[in-house]
Amino acid sequence: MRPRKPPHMDIKLSEDERVPWDKEFDTFPMSRNNDAMRMRYDRLRSIESRMQAVAGDLANQGESSTIYVILFLNLRILWFGKPEIFPPQKERASKTMHDALYPFECRQAKLSYTGKFFVDICFQYGDGAVIREKFNFGQFPIMLKSKLCHLRAADDSKKLIAHKEEPSEMGGYFVLKGLERVIRLIILPKRNYPMSMARNSFRDRREGYSDKAVVIRCVREDQSAVSLKLYYLNNGSARLGFWIQGREYLLPVGIILKALVDTTDHEMYVNLTCCYNEECDRVKGAVGTQLVGERAKIILDEVQALSLFTRAQCLQHIGQHFQPVMTGMQNDSYKTVADAVLRDYIFVHLDNNHDKFNLLIFMLQKLFSLIDQTSVLDNPDSLQNQEVLLPGHLITIYLKEKLQDWLLRLQRLLQEETDGENKKFELSSLADVKKTIEKHGPKQMGLAIENMLKTGRLVTQSGLDLQQRAGMTVMAERLNFLRFLSHFRAVHRGASFAGLRTTSVRKLLPESWGFLCPVHTPDGEPCGLLNHMTAACRITSYYDLKGNAKDFFKIRMSILNVLIAIGMTPSSPKLVQAGPPEVLSVLLDGRIVGSMPSDLVEKAVTHLRRLKLSSTLSIPVDLEVGYIPLSMNGAYPGLYLFTSPSRFVRPVRSISAPAEEGNDLELIGPFEQVYMEISCPDGGDGGRKNLFPATHREIHPTNILSVVGNLTPWSDHNQSPRNMYQCQMGKQTMGFSSQALNCRADQKLYHLQTPQTPIARTKAYEKYCVDDYPLGTNAIVAVLAYSGYDMEDAMVLNKSSVDRGLCHGHIYQTETIDLTEQSAKSDRAQRLFRRSNLDKSSHQLIDSDGLPYVGQRINPNEPYCTIYNEITSQTTSMKLKGSEPVVVDYVAVDVKNKTHLQKANIRFRKSRNPVIGDKFSSRHGQKGVCSQLWPDIDMPFSGVTGMRPDLIINPHAFPSRMTIAMLLESIAAKGGALHGKFVDATPFSNTMKEGESEPSSLVDELGSMLAACGFNYHGVELLYSGVYGTELTCEIFIGPVYYQRLRHMVSDKFQVRSTGTVDQVTRQPIKGRKRGGGVRFGEMERDSLLAHGAAYLLHDRLHTSSDHHIADVCSECGSVLTSSLIQPPKRAVQEMVGLPPGREPKKVTCLACRSSKGMETVAMPYVFKYLAAELAAMNIKMTLKLSKGAGA
Amino acid sequence: MEGVSYQRFPRIKIREVKEDFMKFELRDTDASIANALRRIMIAEVPTIAIDLVEIEVNSTVLNDEFISHRLGLVPLTSERAMSMRFSRDCDACDGDGQCEYCSVEFYLRVKCLTDQTLDVTSKDLLSSDHTVVPVDYSDVSSGFDSNSTNKGIIIVKLRRGQELRLRAIARKGIGKDHAKWSPAATVTFMYEPEIYINEDMMETLSLQEKTELVDSSPTKVFGIDPESKQVIVVEPEAYTYDDEVLKKAEAMGKPGLVEIHAKEDSFIFTVETTGAVKASQLVLNAIEVLKQKLDAVRLSDDTVEADDQFGELGAHMRGG
Repeated sequence: MRPRKPPHMDIKLSEDERVPWDKEFDTFPMSRNNDAMRMRYDRLRSIESRMQAVAGDLANQGESSTIYVILFLNLRILWFGKPEIFPPQKERASKTMHDALYPFECRQAKLSYTGKFFVDICFQYGDGAVIREKFNFGQFPIMLKSKLCHLRAADDSKKLIAHKEEPSEMGGYFVLKGLERVIRLIILPKRNYPMSMARNSFRDRREGYSDKAVVIRCVREDQSAVSLKLYYLNNGSARLGFWIQGREYLLPVGIILKALVDTTDHEMYVNLTCCYNEECDRVKGAVGTQLVGERAKIILDEVQALSLFTRAQCLQHIGQHFQPVMTGMQNDSYKTVADAVLRDYIFVHLDNNHDKFNLLIFMLQKLFSLIDQTSVLDNPDSLQNQEVLLPGHLITIYLKEKLQDWLLRLQRLLQEETDGENKKFELSSLADVKKTIEKHGPKQMGLAIENMLKTGRLVTQSGLDLQQRAGMTVMAERLNFLRFLSHFRAVHRGASFAGLRTTSVRKLLPESWGFLCPVHTPDGEPCGLLNHMTAACRITSYYDLKGNAKDFFKIRMSILNVLIAIGMTPSSPKLVQAGPPEVLSVLLDGRIVGSMPSDLVEKAVTHLRRLKLSSTLSIPVDLEVGYIPLSMNGAYPGLYLFTSPSRFVRPVRSISAPAEEGNDLELIGPFEQVYMEISCPDGGDGGRKNLFPATHREIHPTNILSVVGNLTPWSDHNQSPRNMYQCQMGKQTMGFSSQALNCRADQKLYHLQTPQTPIARTKAYEKYCVDDYPLGTNAIVAVLAYSGYDMEDAMVLNKSSVDRGLCHGHIYQTETIDLTEQSAKSDRAQRLFRRSNLDKSSHQLIDSDGLPYVGQRINPNEPYCTIYNEITSQTTSMKLKGSEPVVVDYVAVDVKNKTHLQKANIRFRKSRNPVIGDKFSSRHGQKGVCSQLWPDIDMPFSGVTGMRPDLIINPHAFPSRMTIAMLLESIAAKGGALHGKFVDATPFSNTMKEGESEPSSLVDELGSMLAACGFNYHGVELLYSGVYGTELTCEIFIGPVYYQRLRHMVSDKFQVRSTGTVDQVTRQPIKGRKRGGGVRFGEMERDSLLAHGAAYLLHDRLHTSSDHHIADVCSECGSVLTSSLIQPPKRAVQEMVGLPPGREPKKVTCLACRSSKGMETVAMPYVFKYLAAELAAMNIKMTLKLSKGAGA
Repeated sequence: MEGVSYQRFPRIKIREVKEDFMKFELRDTDASIANALRRIMIAEVPTIAIDLVEIEVNSTVLNDEFISHRLGLVPLTSERAMSMRFSRDCDACDGDGQCEYCSVEFYLRVKCLTDQTLDVTSKDLLSSDHTVVPVDYSDVSSGFDSNSTNKGIIIVKLRRGQELRLRAIARKGIGKDHAKWSPAATVTFMYEPEIYINEDMMETLSLQEKTELVDSSPTKVFGIDPESKQVIVVEPEAYTYDDEVLKKAEAMGKPGLVEIHAKEDSFIFTVETTGAVKASQLVLNAIEVLKQKLDAVRLSDDTVEADDQFGELGAHMRGG
C-alpha cells in the first residue's frame, strides 16, 4: 500500500508546502473567455442582487437608525447608533493578529461564516451631550459574495480558485456550522397597492361585515410591513382593520379620516363622492355610482354618533383606546399615542398625513366600486398582485424586531435595577448602565440571526406581517449544479398554502407568463407552490444594475417632474379631484401623487416607457408603469407606478419606440405586463386584433422557461409532463457537483467519473456553461425489445461499455469527528486521537496519530480512527458502518488546538459503478432501471459499422409518453456525431428563423444530415442479432442519446435479511434498513396469501420466521404467565451402566397451582404471551384451554 | 441424420490487411460460424492488460480508482498472450499471479517539476518485459493524432509538484471478463448482397428517374454509366440493406426494378483491432480459440468429469 501522506493537513490545506496558488494557475488556460462567464453572471443577476441586499439594507438602516427611541426615566434616551459589521475573522489567541476567515475554512471546520457585529448605543442624560458606546452584538452571518464577504474581492475565477472555491462561485448563501443554507424566496402580496378581495372569513369578523374588503400591504423604507384591511359593512360603512400584537383592531373609517387631517364633513363628503359624476353614470370606465354619496353620509353619521366632531376629539378617542396596547407609552398623552398609532400602523409607507388621507379616500372609492360591481376583484393568487420576499429584507426586519425586543427588555431590566434592592446601582453612572447592558446579552443578537438562518424558523411575537414562521431557509444541496442553481431560482408560494385544500393557488395563471416557468415545478405535493423563475427573470433590488444604492427619493421626484410635465395635476391637500372616467389617479409606490385626464394617460405611459429605455434621466430602468385602462366593469382603473425593490422584472424587446443607441430591451413587471401588448414569435399572432398592435416583442419564446427547463432539447416536441419530469430528474442527476471537490467537506457528494457534453444541446446549455458541471453521457441507444430484460422501463446496459467507464461514479462522504463535542456530551474527559499500542491488529488501517492512512481501503466493520480517553485510558475505535468498502480520500484536521487534535474530517470515497437496479434517465423524462449488464457479444450489432449499442430501451416507452424530442435527439446526435459538430436543439427555434421563405421541417434537416453520411434518413439501421448472427427482422432505431445517471442507486436502497436483530419486547424482526431490519409482511400481503390459500407460507412468514416461541402453559389454570423454571436440585445421579440416563425431571412448574403436573408446551407467537402479560397488567386474566386434537 | 454429412469447407479470401485492420470474405459456411468467429474475436481471444495496480504516491487530481481503471484500458502488445498462462491456473506462482509466466510488471514514476502541464502517457509505463509494452500508435499512418509528437495515451495530467508513482501487474485475460482484454475494436460481418437490375424495366425510365433512383440509396451502391446512361452497380458492398432503393422503385410504380438478395453463405468481415494484436493475428488466434473450444466439446462428449471442466458449454452440448 502506498505510504500515507502526512494527515496534518491543516484546514489551510498546507499552503506553504506547495507552490502559491496564484503562481500555479498562471499558465492555466481559461477554458472560456470572460464574456461568457460575465454573461452567465448577468443572467443570474437576481442572485447577486439578493446578496447585495443584506449588507446594504443594514447599512441603510444605519442611516436612519434613530428609529428605536425609547423614552426613559428622567428623559434619558437610549437608541441605537450606526451598526457595523466586520468581515469574518478567525478566532485567534492573539488579539492583534486578525486572519481573515474564508468560507471554505468554515465548510471544513463546520464553523459559521460570520463577522463581528457592533452597534453604538447612544445615551443622553436629559439634554446633555449624546454619549455613544460601542457594544458587541455577537457574530452576524455573512452571505457569501456580499459586500463584507472576502470573496467579493475575488472577481475572477483564478482568485476564487485560490480561495478554494468554485471558479464560478456565485455566492448568495450562508455557511452555518459548515452547512450551506439559502433563504427561500417567498411570494408576498404586492406592496403599497390596494387590492380588492373577497373572503368568507371577513364576514366572521363581527356582525354586519360583508365578505369584501380592500387590502393593502404597506412597507416602510426599512422593509417592515403592516397590512391594512378596509372592510365593507353591510350597512354601507367601512372599517379599517390592522393588527397590533396578534390582535386585530377595527376602527370606523370616518374616525381615521378625521384624525388624519383637519377637515370638515363637507370636504370629506366631496372627496368621497368625487368619483361619481351623474353625466358619466354607467359609461365605460365609470366607477362611482350614486350610492357612494349615501355611503359617505353613513360614514360621517357614524363619527357624529360617537360625538367626535374635531380632529382633536378623534385623536383623543384613538389615543384613549390604544394606550393599553402601545408598549412604552403608558405615560404619554392621548394625542401622542394617537399620533403613534397613525404613524406606526396606518399606511406606514407614507409619512405625510395628507397622503394617508388621500390614499384612504382612494381605497374607499375602490371598495365602493367593488361593491357596486363597477370593478372586479383582484386575484391574490395571480403574480400581478405579488412580489417576493428577499433574503436581505427578511434579515433586516427580523433584526429590527429582535433589536426592538432587546431594547424593551433592557428598559425593563434597568427599571428593575433602579427599583430593586441593589443600592449600588446608579442610573446616572454610565459604568453601571454599561454593565447592565453587557449583562443583558447583546451577543445573543448575532446568534438569533444565525439560528433563524440555521433552522429557518422565525422566533417572533408580531409575526413580521409574514404568513409563515418556519421554513424560511433551505439547505443548498450540491447534488449537482442544476440542483444548486435551482435553490436560488425557486420561488415558494408560502408554507401556509401547502395545507390548503383548494387547488386554486397552485394553478398556472397566464399572469406568470415569462416570470415563472410553467414546466419547472415539482409534481406531487408542492406542485404549483414551488415555482422557479424563468431564466430571464430578475428581481429588483435596492441597487441599480451598476451596483449603486438607489436613491428612491430622487427617483420619485424625477418621475413626479416627468408626470407633471406631461400634464398631471399634482395632488395637494384640499384639492378635490374628479374620478374616472374623466380623470385617473396616479399612484407612485402607493402614494397618490396626482391625477391625470384619462386621454393623456396613454401618452404619459408611452413617454415614461421611452424614458425607461433611454436611461439618461434618473428614471430607473426597472420602473413599472402599471396602467390599468378604463374598462366596463373591469379592474379598477388608474396609473400605478412602482419603483420599489423585490418586484419581478424581465426584459422584452420594445418595438414601438425608436431604438436609440441600440437599447430596446425594456424591463417589465407582472403588473404592467397584463395590460401590455407583447407579441411572441411562436408562429402565430396570438389572436391579436389590429386595433391593438403589439408594442413589445418577446426576445425569444424560450424566455418562458427556467434555466433547467431550458436545457431540455426540443422540449417543444415533448408532451409537457415529460418536460416537468425532466426538470425534476435533471436535479437528481449524478454529475459534477463541484469543481473544488478536493476542498469540500459535504456530508455526501455525488460525482460522475466519465461525463460528456451532449451533442444535441440548447443555446442555454452553452450560455450557462453547463459544460463546467456536466451531467451525463452520450450513450448509443437502440430502441428495440431484446432479451426481454427491457420490459417496463427497464434498460439493458452493455457490460463492455460499463467496463470501459460508462456512467462510472463515486460518492464522497465526509465524517466529522469532534472530540470536544463528544466529551462535552458524556464525561468531560479529555479525548485524543491516538492509536493503541496494545492492539496491533488495527495498525495496518490506522496510523500512529489515530487517523486512517489516506488511500487506505476500509471494509465494513473495520476501524477508521481510534480515540483515546484520558480518564478511562481506554482506546475506542470508530468502525465503518454500512455494507460497502470505502477508500479514505482525504483527512483534514483542525489545528486550532495546537497541542491536541480535537477535530478531524475524514472523507471517504465509495465506488459506484453501474449495477443492476441503478436508475438512468434521458433528458426527456424517460427514466428506467438497469435490469441487466448484457455481454457485448450478445448485443445486436450493425453490419456496416460494427457498432453495438451501449443501452437498449423498449419501444413501448414512446407511444404513450410521446417524447418525440428524444427521437429527434437520437437522430440529431447521430448526425452531429457523424459530422463532428454539435446540434442546436433550442426549442421553438424554427419560429425565430426569419427571412426563410419556406421553413424546412426539423426532421428534414436532421434526416438529410444522416443521409449525407450514408445512413438511413430516419435514423434506423439494420442490426444483426449478437447471439445468432442473423439479421433482425426489422430495422432498429439507433443513435446517441444523452443519458443521465440518477442518484437513486440500489446500493443505497437494497434491504435483505435472513436472521438478525429482533425487537426486545415482541421478539419480532425489527424494521429499518440501517439496522439490518426486514421488510414488513403487512396486512395486505397477508390478505393476498390468504386469498391464495397458501397457509404454509403464511405460517412460515408470520410465525416461524417471525416470533416463533414455545411457551409453557399450565393446563390446570390455563395461564401462560405463571410458568417458572426450577433448577433441578444438584443430585448425584447414579449412572447405571447400560441403561439410558434417567428422564430429566420436569423443570417447569406453575407458580399459581404450585405443581408441574399440568405443564404443557405450546408453540405460539411470542407477542401472544406479551399480550397476556399486558392484559394481566390491566387486571384481565387470559386462560388457555388445551386439548389434544382438533374439535375437542 | 446418420450418414449424411453436412460438412462444408469454408474459404477465406483476404481482401485487405493492415496492421490493425483487415477485411476478408468468408464463404461456404453459415451465419453460426461467422458469428462464432466474431464473438470469439471480441470476447475470447486473450490479450494482456493491466489488472492490478499498487499505488505508492498519487497526488494528481484523479483518484486512485480512476487512474487504475484508465491504466487497465491501455492496450498492451499481446503477441505473447496466446502462450501465456492465465494467472488463475498458473502453477508456477500458486495463482497469486505475479510470476513471469502469467504476469508482466510495470512501473510508472512521474513527477512534474515545471510550470508546464505534464502529460503522463502510456509511454511512461516501464515494462519488465520488452515484448509486452503499451501499444505504440505513432507509426500508424492512419492520421489519428497526426501531429509530430505522438506521445501515446494520456493517463493523467500533472501540474507542478504533483506526482504519480505506482506498480502495475498486467495479466492475461479475455474480453468476456472485462472489456479491457478485448483485442477487437470492431468486428463485424455482413451478408454479401446480390443485386440484380432488371434491365428491361430500367430502360423504361428516363434519365432523371434513373438519377433519382441512384440517389435514393444513402450509400453509393449504384451509379450511372457516363456513356451508356445505364444504371450500374458500382459498389454492391456499400449496400446497407436499408431497402431505400426497393422502396423508391416501388414508389415509382416499378416494383421489381431492382432485386437484392443476401447471399446466405457468404460473409464480408471487417476486423479492427486495438493494436494489442495484429488484425491478421487476431483472426488466426480466433480460429485457434474456436478450435480449442471445439476440441473441448469433442473431448467432453461422454465424460462426466468433462462436465465439470467445461461447465455450461458441455451441458449445453448435450442439450442440457
